Amino acid sequence: MNGVLSRLPDFVWLVPGLPLAAAAVTAARVLLGRARGDDGEPPTARLAEIAALGGLVLLLAIDVKALLAGAPGHRVTGVWLPGGEWEGTLSFLLDALSLASATTAALVGWLVTRFSAAYLHREAGFHRFFIVLGAFLAGIQLVFLSGNGLLAFVGWELCGATSFLLIGYAWQRPVATGNALFAFATNRAGDAGFMLGLGLAAAWLGSFEWPALTGGLLPAVTARILAVGFVVAALAKSAQLPFTPWIARALEGPTPSSAIFYGSIMVHAGVFLLLRLHPLFAQVPDVLAGILIAGALTAAYAWLVGLVQTDVKSALVFATVFQIGLMFVAIGLGWTTLATVHLCLHALWRAWQFLLAPSWLALTEAPPKPAPAWLRRRQWLYTAALQRFWLDRLAFALLARPTESFARDVRGFEAHFVDPTLGEAGRGRPRGSAPPLVSADGVPGRLLARAAEVLQRVEIHLSLRGRGGAAERLLRQGGAWLRTVENLLEQPRYLMMAVMATFVVIL
Amino acid sequence: MLKALVFLPVLGAAVVAVLPLRALALWRIALAFTLLVLGYAFWLASGFDAAGPAIQFFESQPWNVRLGSHFALGVDGISLAMVLLAAALTLVAVLVSRRMETGARLYFTLVLLLESAMFGVFTARDWSLFYVFWEATLIPLFFLIDRLGGRNRQRAALNFFLYTLGGSVFMLVALLFLYDAAPGHSFAMADMAEGGRSLPLNVQLLIFAGLFIGFGVKMPVFPLHGWLPLAHVEAPSPVSILLSGVLLKMGAYGLIRAAETLPAALLATQDWLAALAFISLLYGGILAWRQQDLKAMVAYSSISHMGIVLLGIATLNVTGLTGAVMQMVAHGLTAATLFLVVGLLYQRTHSRDLADYGTLAGGAPRFAFFTAFALLAALGLPGSAGFIAELHALIGGYARWGFWVTLVGVAMLVGAAYSLRVIGRLCLRGLPPAGVADMTRTETLAAGLLGAAIVVLGVWPAPLLGLVAGSVDRIGRLFGA
Repeated sequence: MNGVLSRLPDFVWLVPGLPLAAAAVTAARVLLGRARGDDGEPPTARLAEIAALGGLVLLLAIDVKALLAGAPGHRVTGVWLPGGEWEGTLSFLLDALSLASATTAALVGWLVTRFSAAYLHREAGFHRFFIVLGAFLAGIQLVFLSGNGLLAFVGWELCGATSFLLIGYAWQRPVATGNALFAFATNRAGDAGFMLGLGLAAAWLGSFEWPALTGGLLPAVTARILAVGFVVAALAKSAQLPFTPWIARALEGPTPSSAIFYGSIMVHAGVFLLLRLHPLFAQVPDVLAGILIAGALTAAYAWLVGLVQTDVKSALVFATVFQIGLMFVAIGLGWTTLATVHLCLHALWRAWQFLLAPSWLALTEAPPKPAPAWLRRRQWLYTAALQRFWLDRLAFALLARPTESFARDVRGFEAHFVDPTLGEAGRGRPRGSAPPLVSADGVPGRLLARAAEVLQRVEIHLSLRGRGGAAERLLRQGGAWLRTVENLLEQPRYLMMAVMATFVVIL
Repeated sequence: MLKALVFLPVLGAAVVAVLPLRALALWRIALAFTLLVLGYAFWLASGFDAAGPAIQFFESQPWNVRLGSHFALGVDGISLAMVLLAAALTLVAVLVSRRMETGARLYFTLVLLLESAMFGVFTARDWSLFYVFWEATLIPLFFLIDRLGGRNRQRAALNFFLYTLGGSVFMLVALLFLYDAAPGHSFAMADMAEGGRSLPLNVQLLIFAGLFIGFGVKMPVFPLHGWLPLAHVEAPSPVSILLSGVLLKMGAYGLIRAAETLPAALLATQDWLAALAFISLLYGGILAWRQQDLKAMVAYSSISHMGIVLLGIATLNVTGLTGAVMQMVAHGLTAATLFLVVGLLYQRTHSRDLADYGTLAGGAPRFAFFTAFALLAALGLPGSAGFIAELHALIGGYARWGFWVTLVGVAMLVGAAYSLRVIGRLCLRGLPPAGVADMTRTETLAAGLLGAAIVVLGVWPAPLLGLVAGSVDRIGRLFGA
């Protein structure tokens, strides 16, 4: 028993592995046409449920072991990408922070999976939902449990992609797909920050492992640039200013997915990243101050905007953003334990609220409270809160529209200059004596055609096969001469002469 | 043990030649023999110890004591890889010949004899024996092209015969020179290598020139390739499979053996060999692009791909040599798949002109799939064996010549141009359907075997790399790499 318990942390890869395997099995069943109709639903749901429960039980067991014998810490399970300067490892970092967050995530994941089985009954995308949910659970557990940035980034991206897929769950509606794209594009800005951090870590530290990033003292500039990359990633994922607008648009998905993504788990991934790398930030107080300011501003923003929301889900999501802003403030002040506890409790509480959201109208009999009187009195503030401070509009005006115009200009340049130079598919013509299907267009195509023309001529002259090829002509000529010599030799007088000459040579 | 491998196909040839049976029964017998041989070759390979001595399964008997020639057979990693390739491709060549209408007996007899001669070339450990087997491959090939080929078959056969014979005359003279110059007066490869290494540079260069002409014709290298387009185009398709799949590799294999024997000459001519390799690469690629005749296109692309092999050999470092050996195997498999598909297409339409075909996509999906697959694999797409080979050759070449290796990239681009042209024509919708029957079960099986080998080696090349690593290391060490 003791042996099994002590080897448990070696099996922590099963925590992300089980949901992923369940998703893969369901995907295979869908591809093979096995998952159809009412009878197809229970196996899918049960499989996802068992996988989620398995992860939870395993994590709880590891928690017990950690409580009894101390946290297992950083463990390298295997090497994933052996490289020269650095290597990507399969490593897990099991400490108080990761175990607490991962257990919370697994618990919420299991409950949401159970909830979804009934909630999505007879929906067209039933199986699709469970496949994506499984992939998400795997991704988020990778973020929480992995011992290095590279593996965490895999999970991070998995979360982003699954979030995109679930916002666009009802892909028949243009609003849903548009919002999915908006959320995804905003998140990519954060991913860029993450990648910047990882790339610099590989270049400067030669390692992706979390302990290497947080362990030693780094030069101030190095630490600052590294930190800024990860902070941008965290701000985007946790919907802090200036990235907040995406989360309000992300609620298009089915309610269980809103609960687990934007209510409770995924939105905390940014907070988790900051907590994980806190020793790094502690070296650069100005970055910590930046986190504090961003958190405080977001909290104020979300509080104001939340006051005037008229639907349940929006009100809840701004309340979530408000709480996360407070967590950022706590991290900025260096109160990491508080932030960790806040994260776990808030995640559990908010998951319950979100799952309850569809029944809210039935549960509350009184009409919702109107916005407070002081806000209603200040007309301009009220309008600004109602319009969510025009952040959406600003993003469109400052980023989307200039990009669009720029893209139009570039496209024009391409159509008038680049395409004719490089050549376009379907516009090629045969050049020179080339056969009709051997067509070329553009400068490289023309060059190739000309080279081919020259080489074909060389080839015909070079090889024996060409009719009238130079080599063949020479050979024929040589053959003719040889035949003449042979004819002459056959005549008696020359034969005699040859024999005599031979004798002379011998003598 | 190797003796049994070399002479098993001869036994098969005798059985096929003598038994009074119909074509289909002969096919079954030939198939059984080639399967047996392939199994035997794999059994031998499983007994090969990659970390063991250089030459394994060695057996030697004096042949002509006065001359110092031996009947010596043995394999190292490289020759074992080639033996496996030859056995596999012969199986494919027999497998796709099920519907042979005329000349089945002659065909199967000659193919089995050819297999035996190829095994002989790859396992001979004595230069005189090597030469005998080298010439012995010519006889069955001559008759295969001359009797069973296309419209211009007689000219093609004669052309092929003269070219190769002309090349091997130089090789023979060089070998005799080496025999004379080296002390000990023995034809055994090990003895001659020892003698050759101690020769002064100018003698080595002279001997190497002769050997290079002999091997360069077979490979083929740029100015010596005249026989190839005609022979490949006119040969019956299964023979084209063997011709480009295995016979071309004999040239490269010989060159590697020559590198072992005359290291100083190789070091001195390294840059020239690379220049020839680059020229072959571009020349073959551009001419392949210029062809509308599918078989001619594949034939010229073979010249281009063998340029990579020469480039890998010319690097004289371990990575490059590994790339060369990998490319020998990879090109053997991809060229075989290409000729298989093109040959079957010709069998059904009696035309080789791309303009005469419609799309295969609707009516013959298996055909369309394997056409696209073979062309993409020939491009060296990641996941195919060619990618591993080209990558090794590129890395090895970059270490030696820096940015000159971008020429390989140019050749690949040209390769993409002609491959995609054919894919666009045959495998996408848009044209009227070609109206050809889809591949039969045996044909699909043959193409599937090749395809599986290409993908497996592309995704998991470790076994093959491990097989050749020891031998390649040993050669690399000669050049201080």
